[in-house]
Amino acid sequence: MIPKGNIRMSRPIHNFQILLKYILALLTLTLTTAPLYLLREDLGTPLVALLFLIPVGLTTTFWGLGPGIMVAFCAFLTFNFFFIEPYYTFSVHHTRDLLVLIVFLVTAVIISQLVGRAQAGMTAAMAREREATKLYELSTSLAGLQEDRGIARVLAEQVLQTFKPEQIELSINGYAKVNSFKIQLPSLAPSLARNSEASIPVQTGRGLVGIIHLWRANPLTQAEERLLKTFASQGAMALERAWLAQAETRTQVLEESDRLKSALLSSVSHELRTPLSTIKAAITSLRSGEVSWNSSAREDLLAAVDDETDHLNRLVGNLLDMSRIESGALKPKRQWNLLGEIVGSVIASLGKLIENHKLEIDIPENLPFVPVDYVLMEQVFSNLISNSLKYAPADTTIWIHAQAEKDSTVHVQVCNQGPPVPEEHLARIFDKFYRVTAADRVTGTGLGLSICKGIIEAHAGRIWAENLPDGFAFNFTLPLNWEGSPPPQPSIEPEAI
Amino acid sequence: MNKSPRVLVIDDEPQILRALRTILTEKKFQVTIASRGEEGLALAAANPPDIVILDLGLPDMDGIEVCAHLREWTQVPIIVLSVRDNERDKVAALDKGADDYLSKPFGIEELLARVRVAFRHSALTQGHKETIVKAGTLTIDLAKYMITRDGLEVKLTATEYKLLAYLAANNGRVLTHQSILSHVWDPAEADHIEYLRVYMRQLRKKLEADPERPQFLLTEPGIGYRFIADE
Repeated sequence: MIPKGNIRMSRPIHNFQILLKYILALLTLTLTTAPLYLLREDLGTPLVALLFLIPVGLTTTFWGLGPGIMVAFCAFLTFNFFFIEPYYTFSVHHTRDLLVLIVFLVTAVIISQLVGRAQAGMTAAMAREREATKLYELSTSLAGLQEDRGIARVLAEQVLQTFKPEQIELSINGYAKVNSFKIQLPSLAPSLARNSEASIPVQTGRGLVGIIHLWRANPLTQAEERLLKTFASQGAMALERAWLAQAETRTQVLEESDRLKSALLSSVSHELRTPLSTIKAAITSLRSGEVSWNSSAREDLLAAVDDETDHLNRLVGNLLDMSRIESGALKPKRQWNLLGEIVGSVIASLGKLIENHKLEIDIPENLPFVPVDYVLMEQVFSNLISNSLKYAPADTTIWIHAQAEKDSTVHVQVCNQGPPVPEEHLARIFDKFYRVTAADRVTGTGLGLSICKGIIEAHAGRIWAENLPDGFAFNFTLPLNWEGSPPPQPSIEPEAI
Repeated sequence: MNKSPRVLVIDDEPQILRALRTILTEKKFQVTIASRGEEGLALAAANPPDIVILDLGLPDMDGIEVCAHLREWTQVPIIVLSVRDNERDKVAALDKGADDYLSKPFGIEELLARVRVAFRHSALTQGHKETIVKAGTLTIDLAKYMITRDGLEVKLTATEYKLLAYLAANNGRVLTHQSILSHVWDPAEADHIEYLRVYMRQLRKKLEADPERPQFLLTEPGIGYRFIADE
């Protein structure tokens, strides 16, 4: 009945529609009366009475109980006026006719009531079916959603579609106001100045989580209000489900981070103690006076202390880097750099550690500048080379190769002739504390490679490992463009002085 | 310097102060210590030191600020101490007038080398200039614009020479990218670190035995360059 697209239905239109029903009902009666009046002499009173039941039934079927009852009474009067002698008066002479009239009235009223009730029952059934459909639609569209904003949006949209308000505002407070937000539909319309006509709470078992405000000129019927409340509670359940799922994920993340922290603690305390033990042993034996002043033993002990303090320093550095990467505080300080220069200073800083291996550096001179943080990239090369030194047997070659790729990236490879890593471990060796070998066989915190990953990713690059036919390789790529600019190509002045 | 030089150490770590006092006293320095910036500034004003060793992480004020305050009235050499990964502060301190830096933890040999370099430069700014700098097989004659390697003259372009001369004149000292770029190129070009990188590579190729592993033209990661000459 309500015209689509016109959400606002004013009272005069509504009244006019009711009036129209009554007019149509009277028209039906008139249209029935006319032919019966013409055939009045041929039909006889009882038949006319029967035929007059037709407009009563039709009217009730089409326009409801009110017009039906009215037509019943009007038909009674018309019947009396036109068809019961004396004609054109409301008086009745024969007792038989009076009986016919009374029977007609009773029958007409009963028929119209029966039909009307059936009609009303059907309307109600249809309304319930519509409600059920709407609810079904709502719960289906809410079912797959995991995120509170998505749920609220669907709820608001469904309320808008079903109740056709001018505007709807759904404000969600969440528990303890942690998930507060508002959704207003239609979203582009300016907010209405007046107070909303209807407000329905969104309530979960644990309390009020939000409110639906509706702006609609004609008030909600009882059925609509009931439906809206059901909508609200469906939405509330979906929201609660989403929040619980979120809380569960958070718990899992916390548990994971807790697990990592314990792993870190145990690994770190073990790793820190090793150099400390060496230092303590060396220093106490030197202080005891048992080591003679000029012996080579003294030199060895001092060298051990020196090396182990460097080792400790590297460990602490790794821990700091890791915590910075974890907390997202790692902000590369980019500059245009030459990879060759970075590798050079890494090799210089590794010093004696590389004595037992051969190092081949293959970085072309025309390799473009790379926009990286010098110190962080030093760390990457240092960790990758240290890792190779640790696993590759002595006297084998470690090969560092870099080349520019067509897609404006530079591809760097650090290869060694160490043993292959089982395929299933390849992707995970960059995870924190992940070791392929048992922890007691090779020293290290298990952080070096994950720091490399953190740094490369902070530079928008990618890092991976692969087995080679005769060894093992770390690979990484770095973008060559920096804030949209390609690497600079400074011109070199001609040779001469 | 006839009498033993006075060194002022400003650091808030008692253990570092204890170690430095012991070692430096052993090396015939007169050591004064301060654990706060204000205290250090007051001590420096009361009894001007010959060199200041300053930690950048002080409890009461920023080490960079201490540096700036000292530079308001004295050219005393300042060596700043800082942890690794704090390049930004190191560069800021150097730009505010610090002469050199050391990353903690450091070896005492490194510290003494820095102190020697700082003394030499403070003596040079007051008196004669060194004109011949030797580093391994390399000889740089700053007066004659002449560079020889193993006795043979090395040809440099004008910019290469300017860069090398600036580094050699400051031998042993760290020079920030900024200061090199604005001295050798134009102050307007101070952002173009790529020039510096390219010319350093050129210089290393011409002067170093193994350009990949330089002996004299050293990179100071994230900070600048340092030329190491023979002592």
